[in-house]
Amino acid sequence: MSVIIIDKLTKRYGRRTGIDGVTLQVSAGEIFGFLGPNGAGKTTTIRLMLGLLRPNDGSVRIFGLDCWRSSRRVKREVGYLPGDLRLYARTTGNTMLRICGAIRGRDLGAPGRTLAELFALDLNVTVRRMSRGMRQKLGLILALAHRPQLLILDEPTASLDPLMQERLMELLRTLAAEGHTIFFSSHSLSEVERLCDRVAIVREGRLVADETLVSLRANARRQVTIRWHTDAAEPQPPPFLAIHRREDHLWEASLRSDVTSLLQWLHDRPVADLAVGHPDLDSLFRQYYLHGKPQP
Amino acid sequence: MNRGLLLKSLYEVWVISALFAVALMIVEALLGYVLPTFAEQFSTIWTDLPFVKNIFRALLGVDIGDQFGPDVFASLAWVHPVVLAIIAAHATIFATRVPVGEIDRATIDVLLGLPVSRWGLYRAELAMFLTSGVLLIAMALVGNRIGALLLATPMPFQAKSTLIMIANLFCLYIAAGGLAWLVSSLSERRGKAIAIVFSILLASFLLSFLAEFWEPAKTISFLSILTYYQPLIVIRQEQWPLGDMAVLLSLGAVMWTAGGICFARRDICTV
Repeated sequence: MSVIIIDKLTKRYGRRTGIDGVTLQVSAGEIFGFLGPNGAGKTTTIRLMLGLLRPNDGSVRIFGLDCWRSSRRVKREVGYLPGDLRLYARTTGNTMLRICGAIRGRDLGAPGRTLAELFALDLNVTVRRMSRGMRQKLGLILALAHRPQLLILDEPTASLDPLMQERLMELLRTLAAEGHTIFFSSHSLSEVERLCDRVAIVREGRLVADETLVSLRANARRQVTIRWHTDAAEPQPPPFLAIHRREDHLWEASLRSDVTSLLQWLHDRPVADLAVGHPDLDSLFRQYYLHGKPQP
Repeated sequence: MNRGLLLKSLYEVWVISALFAVALMIVEALLGYVLPTFAEQFSTIWTDLPFVKNIFRALLGVDIGDQFGPDVFASLAWVHPVVLAIIAAHATIFATRVPVGEIDRATIDVLLGLPVSRWGLYRAELAMFLTSGVLLIAMALVGNRIGALLLATPMPFQAKSTLIMIANLFCLYIAAGGLAWLVSSLSERRGKAIAIVFSILLASFLLSFLAEFWEPAKTISFLSILTYYQPLIVIRQEQWPLGDMAVLLSLGAVMWTAGGICFARRDICTV
C-alpha cells in the first residue's frame, strides 16, 4: 500500500519553478531516499507534503488524504524535521515536549526522555543555549517521540556527529522494520546509500530517477585498472571499456557492462594484474546531478 | 480549541504581557494621582494659554468647556498618549507574532508540522489575545484606582461609567489587534509588519487630533479608530456608546477574519 502518492505535482514561485510534474509513490515500511543538489526542489516537495505550500498543479496524498485540504489529519501520523530547523529560543527541550504532547493529545514525556538518552541530549537546557547539533537532536526527538507512521526528514544528519548519525540510522532501520515509512531527503549520497531501499533524484525541479538502490548499483559503472605484461603488445580497448588513462601498459577505465564480459574479453589477453572496484554510485549521481541522466 | 496551542502561546506571551500590564498600571496610577493633584495649576494654564484647551479638546474628542472638573481628569487618564501607545504596542506586538513572527524566524515549520490547522492556530492566538487584553485593561483600572486612592481627597469610584469606558477601550484594543493580524497575515517580515501597523495607528491618532483644529481632517476623521473612543462623553453621559463600540468590534472582526482567510490560503515560505 502506498503511504505517499505524489501525482504530477507542480509548484511555481512567480516565474521560477520549484518543482515541475513530480510523480512518485512511497510504500509502507519503505525507507525512501530523496536526493538532489541544493535548490533542486527537495524542500519544496516536502513543504507541499506538509501543506505549507499549495500546489499549482497536481496533488500529493498521504494516507489517502489530500495534503492541502486535510493537512491537520495527515499530520497526526507524521513526524517532520525541517531542513532549516528553528525552535523557540526561550523554551527547554522538556517544555517543547510538553507543548507538542499537548497539541498531539498524548504524553510525550517518557518517549522523549528515552530518545534524549539515545541522542545524549539534556532536555533541561533552553534552546538558545543549545549548539546546532543539540537543536538538531531536539528536532529529531520531537519528530520521533510520538512514533509516527510516516517520518519526513529533511537533511536530518546535518550538524550531527558521526556517532549520532549512526544511532539515527540504526533507529530509522528499526522503525522501518516495524512498518514505519521514512521519507529521507538529503544531498549526501553516502547516507542515502547506507540507509535507503529506494532513491528518487530530483534535479532542477524534475524527477530524473526513481529506482531501487539495487537497480542503481546495476547501472553504476565500476572502475577498472588493468596492467598488461610489458613484453606483449597492448590490445585495442573493447567498446564496453571507457579508458580514462593509458600509459606504461596501465589502463584506468570505467566498465560499461557487467564484469563477466570483461573477464571473457581478458581471458586470452596478456593481463599482468586486474583490479575491479565497487559500482561507482558517486559518479552515477554526479551524472544525474549534472546532466539529469547517466552519460553513455 | 487545542490546549497545546494555548499552552504554547501562554509560554511565549506571559512575560511580555505581564510587563505591559505592570507598565500600564504604573502609568495609570501616576496619571490618576498627578492630574487631580495639579488641578489648580491646570486651571491657571487653562486661563493663560488657551491653546492648551484645544490640545485637551483634541485628545478627548469633545469640547470640555471652561471647567477642568473631575470628569475631565478621570477621562484624561484613559486617553493619555502613553496609555494609548502601551495598548497599541501590546496589540501590535501580540498580533504580529503569528503568523508573520513565526514565518520570519522560521519556527512555523515546526509548528505547522504538528497536527494543527492554520485556523486552529489563529483562533488560539485570538483567545490568548483577548485574555491578555482583559488582563491589561484590568491592571490599568487597578493602577488608576491606586492613584485615585492616594489623593488627599480620594476620588469616588464611578462604577458604571468606568465599566463602559474600559469596555470601549477594550473594543479599541480589539480593532488595533484586528489591523495588526491583517497586516501580519499579508507580510513576510515581522519588523515591516510592525512598522506598517504603527504607521497606520499613528496616522489614526494624528487624524483624530487634527480633526479638532482643521476642517479637511474633520471630513475624514471617521477613518480614525480613535473617533470611536471618547471617554469624556461616556463619563458625562453614563451611556453605552453602542455605535462606537459596534464600529470598533466590526472593524476588528472583519480585519481579523480577512487576516485568517489570507493566512489559511497563503504559501508559507521560510527559506
